[in-house]
Amino acid sequence: MKPTRALVLVSNDPVSIECGSVEVFQALQGEIRSHRLQDEIKISTISDVAPRGDLPLVMIYPEGVVYGPIGVDDVHILVEEHLMQGRIVQRLAARMHEPVGDIAWLRARTGVLPVQQRIVLERVGVVDPESLDDYLIHDGYVALGKALFEMTPQQVITEIDKSGLQGRGGAGFPTGRKWEFVRGAQATPKYVICNADESEPGTFKDRMVIEGDPFNIIEAMTIAAYAIGAAEGYIYIRGEYKLGYKRLENAIKQAEERGLLGDNIFGKDFNFHIHLHAGAGAYVCGEETALIESIEGKRGQPRSRPPFPPTYGVWGKPTAVNNVETLANIAPIIHNGGEWYHQFGTEKSRGTKVFTIMGNVNFTGVIEVSLGITLREIIDIYAKGMKKGAKLKLAQTGGSSGSIVPASLQDTPLDFESWRKAGVSLGSGALLICDEHTCVVDLARTILQFFRFECCAKCVPCRTGTHRLYQLMHEISIGKGTPQSIEEIQLLGSDMEFLSNCGLGQTASVAVRDILKHFREEVEEHIRDGVCRAGVCNLTGHPLKVQNEAVVA
Amino acid sequence: MINLKIDDTILDVKENTTILNAAASVGIHIPTLCYHKDLSPFGGCRICVVEVKDARLPMTACNTPVAPQMRVRTNTPTVIRYRRAILRMLLSNYYDAGYKRVNGKCGIDEDNDLIRLAREYDVDVLAAMAKAPRFPVDADPNPYVLVDRNKCIQCTRCVRACAEIQGRFVWSQSYRGYQARIVAGDDSTMLASRCESCGACVAYCPTGALDNKMSITAGRPDCLVKTTCTYCGVGCQLDLNVKDGKVIRVTSNAEANGRSVNGLHLCVKGRYGYEFIHNPSRHQKPRVREYLLKNEPRPKDRGKFVDVDWETALNIVARKFQQIRDEDSTKIGVLASGHLLNEESYLLNKLARQGLGTNNIDIISNLYFPNSFNELPAMTNSLDDVAANAQAFFIIGSNLTEQHPVFGARIRQNILRRKIKAVVASPDFINIEEYAALSLRHLPGTEEALINGLMNIILEKGWANRYSLQKHADGPETLREITDTYTAIHVAELTGIPIEQLYAAAQILASRHPMAVLCGSGIADPKANRALINLQILLENFGIPGGGVNILRAENNTQGAIDMGCVPNFLTGYQSISDANARSKFEQVWGCRIRSNSGMNAAEMIANARALYVIGEDILNTSLESAAFRKHLENCEFIVLQEMAFSETTRYADVILPGVSFAEKTGTFTNTERRVQMVHQAIEPIGESRPDWQIIADLGTRLGTGWNYTSTTQIMDEVHSLTPIYAGISHERLGHEERLQWPVESESHPGTPILPVRPFIDRKVYSFTREQMG
Repeated sequence: MKPTRALVLVSNDPVSIECGSVEVFQALQGEIRSHRLQDEIKISTISDVAPRGDLPLVMIYPEGVVYGPIGVDDVHILVEEHLMQGRIVQRLAARMHEPVGDIAWLRARTGVLPVQQRIVLERVGVVDPESLDDYLIHDGYVALGKALFEMTPQQVITEIDKSGLQGRGGAGFPTGRKWEFVRGAQATPKYVICNADESEPGTFKDRMVIEGDPFNIIEAMTIAAYAIGAAEGYIYIRGEYKLGYKRLENAIKQAEERGLLGDNIFGKDFNFHIHLHAGAGAYVCGEETALIESIEGKRGQPRSRPPFPPTYGVWGKPTAVNNVETLANIAPIIHNGGEWYHQFGTEKSRGTKVFTIMGNVNFTGVIEVSLGITLREIIDIYAKGMKKGAKLKLAQTGGSSGSIVPASLQDTPLDFESWRKAGVSLGSGALLICDEHTCVVDLARTILQFFRFECCAKCVPCRTGTHRLYQLMHEISIGKGTPQSIEEIQLLGSDMEFLSNCGLGQTASVAVRDILKHFREEVEEHIRDGVCRAGVCNLTGHPLKVQNEAVVA
Repeated sequence: MINLKIDDTILDVKENTTILNAAASVGIHIPTLCYHKDLSPFGGCRICVVEVKDARLPMTACNTPVAPQMRVRTNTPTVIRYRRAILRMLLSNYYDAGYKRVNGKCGIDEDNDLIRLAREYDVDVLAAMAKAPRFPVDADPNPYVLVDRNKCIQCTRCVRACAEIQGRFVWSQSYRGYQARIVAGDDSTMLASRCESCGACVAYCPTGALDNKMSITAGRPDCLVKTTCTYCGVGCQLDLNVKDGKVIRVTSNAEANGRSVNGLHLCVKGRYGYEFIHNPSRHQKPRVREYLLKNEPRPKDRGKFVDVDWETALNIVARKFQQIRDEDSTKIGVLASGHLLNEESYLLNKLARQGLGTNNIDIISNLYFPNSFNELPAMTNSLDDVAANAQAFFIIGSNLTEQHPVFGARIRQNILRRKIKAVVASPDFINIEEYAALSLRHLPGTEEALINGLMNIILEKGWANRYSLQKHADGPETLREITDTYTAIHVAELTGIPIEQLYAAAQILASRHPMAVLCGSGIADPKANRALINLQILLENFGIPGGGVNILRAENNTQGAIDMGCVPNFLTGYQSISDANARSKFEQVWGCRIRSNSGMNAAEMIANARALYVIGEDILNTSLESAAFRKHLENCEFIVLQEMAFSETTRYADVILPGVSFAEKTGTFTNTERRVQMVHQAIEPIGESRPDWQIIADLGTRLGTGWNYTSTTQIMDEVHSLTPIYAGISHERLGHEERLQWPVESESHPGTPILPVRPFIDRKVYSFTREQMG
């Protein structure tokens, strides 16, 4: 293993490819090879750059310089000047007004943006995701080595338990306890599953980790397998994540070649194999039991619980199902110890959280910050304020199944405990920020349309309820609602919450419930006055026609 | 044991019991729709929700296991409000077009679980029901199953029934959300999705979304009559639905569940093949040829038929039989059938040996399956035992899933669920091969070589248990001698099976214990049958659960007919005709002399007899040699045919006596696993036709036997007094749903699910009573 002197990343999002990033990549490869630099300079691609002009981008580490737009003609200058001479080529540097995504974090290190607290995303954008060597340089596999040589499986679980790590998939179940259950279950064999079916709309945290730091997940799963006594594991990755699939496939292959995965890991009597399983595009397969059914080759429908996966999981055996983000915390915790983790977050919610910011704000993208931050901080500091100075109306947290938070709650700390008290779920960490131009009826209708389509149709309340709720909300949005509509929505919503089989049905009505709780007046206006104050709904069925122009009450 | 409280009852139940079953055990009823006790729980309809103390949400009783100190409330106002909400949700997607005939006119189908439940919970069905259909009403061209997705509540009982009972995987839930529906295959038609039309999905459908197409407008039955199916040797229990003296449909018998062979499962024949009962072409009156009435000599084509009354017909038959009997009783033959009741078969045996003074009696199926009972008198084990306990199957000479569909489906399930390996030997592709670990494609007629070749390999490789072989009287050397010439190379040549497949098959069969042989009418060679016995002795698979040589009888009562002595060389219960003691026992009761030499078999009778009494079967459609038989029948002097409707053989008959179907008489059938089961009369005989036992009895009386039979119960009493293996069998015991598999040695004997076997190599290995076991 040779240390790498520099890492070159070429942006490969669709727009960059359109602008010729593939040719640039090939030219760079050729140029580096012709100067015999291939052993000391790594070249790879990065996809998380927002299409903001100056594409394709070329980023060169460790200096963290962003060049763009770069054509094939510029390549030899970059190589000769920057890579060989170490001189930054100012005239080719990107003129970006708002650094975003990985680049934003890069700039953060130089003090342009407030510092994020990175544990999960620590290596993302820094290491070459396709190189095990690079991962090893960045402290990779130190944690697994520590676990295998210095700790018993029980100690691993104790350490995780001590850290207070809670599942990052949405429910916030303590990870240590989950592992303890699986370890304590009688049946064998046991399995580890990584839930990478990130399908909550507007959430891209797992994608960042998988595409940017796949070895981290492999290592964490191996530690988990050691802790619970599993010899086999599955990664269930969302079907759309083609690049992520490729990266994980490559990571598994490389780890197996080096004896870090497979039989006799680290030369010890410990075997662990990972199967990669791509989903087929169903939202509900992010639910752990539906995911398990899907792995078993069945229609992805959630099972009834109990029994829970720790006792009855894949193939009917004890199974630990963990989210990507949860797993990404494992290696740092084992490496640094559970106590170390306590410095992040709040007393009841330890650690950091990766948020995906979307909506009417100046900066959108993925950030990782300590738990306990407030919504106001995120919007004002990380998101650089509302777009065009508009006023915050509401935020939806945790994707479609998440809660609607009115502006009045924006100073509540974002942690599991406080939000649970406020009746809000942190969920997957998606933050949809909406200003006054968003109509709550339209928002609710859109969300319900999503659930109506994604319902797995197993249980009756969800199958008929999501349809009926959508129908009612749609009627309101076109001016055909009646006062009884609201009542029916509330009753049906509560029935669904209590009678549905899985989280999908139980939470499908959460957004609507919250909207009726915080914005009932606005919904009633649609019905009573035929007015959409945001000017979004086309209430043509009604005499008081309002179109295009926002009517502010 | 887990202690919990349901409503006000404190109880202890076993671990992993569901709340539903725990409640049922103390008589607390919780409503269900998607749950069925034969199927895996689903938990989709949510109607069985109950409140559990300290649980965040209400829980479904059908699939939630009990936990210690659980406090369950099944009937609180909240629970009832939930159930009503669910029923309204279900009904909001339920649309009944009213095509189903109710009380003589079309109307809403009230005969289904959903509507009954809605009534029980006081939900206004018509108000809650969908206002318009979303799907076409008769959406599938399947001739037996009517598909109406408007009535579907997606409980997936059909999906699970097809997968978990028939093993055909036709149905599945497809699409998402509100668009989701039950589809056949890739949303094509049922038959294109390899449906076998067994109707299991119909039997398990709680709403009538899947219904019996043939009888959709027939209305509700006046009564249900439980009886035994008349198609194959499995002996399924079913309900004949009778309305206005007609059988309008066949449904699964719900009460027999668990005790019967089949539960709710039936095959396409049993469930939908009932129309023959009321077929208009059935004989309504006895018929004789005109020459017989006019006392003229027989014309070459036998002349035309004339309808007569019973008196005339029976007298003609009796007179003619008497005449030929008195001239030469060895020239009269009786051809029995595997479709008759045991009681009728017994009477026929008695008629031949007493009334006609001949041992010329045989069942017609022996034409293609000659005298198999000499080596394999019966299945050694039981159907359920073989299916549930065998670790490997060797299926040879039987197209299991076609010939014995309900049993075949059970074997498929066990192969799938228990991961059992099956070796299938068949000259042609058969369905069960899809599930087999290995299929051997041997040339027709090389079964003996194949089986001996497998034994040769097992001996060569030392896979058999040497120690146990020493126990056998004849030792392993005899087997070695028998199989010596069948070396693998030689057998591969003979059978056309690749040599490596022979080794693979031998390994599968020898390495799994117990291994069950399943064979049927495709293995006609007696030597092959003996080879199968040798194989099972070699592998020690006799007399244990999940083993044995299991011969599957083709017809519903072939087994019973042989048991009742409808064969030339045995009296009832395999008491040999050459055994003087047995003979004298019968002579005493019957008051006649019985000849000691074996009579002619079926083929010999057809070729040589002057007079034939043929019952319940069409000779010319039974055998491959019908061209030769045709000639013989043409020459036969006098043929009496007792049948239900015209057949190929009818044109050679001189007298037709109209018998009845299984729906018109009471008695017993013996299925292939030696289980005796009741057949109950459901309707009155059609026209002037009469139950076959009455016809035989009337004929017997006219032949001077002095019989006086008034019921089949009386006949069965006579059977068990003369037949040790049927000694404990009576209509009364069978009426109590007792599972009686012969030998049943006494009134209190429980029957013998697995036959005791005497280990003799290359000889008959069966014994039926303890005395014979020595």
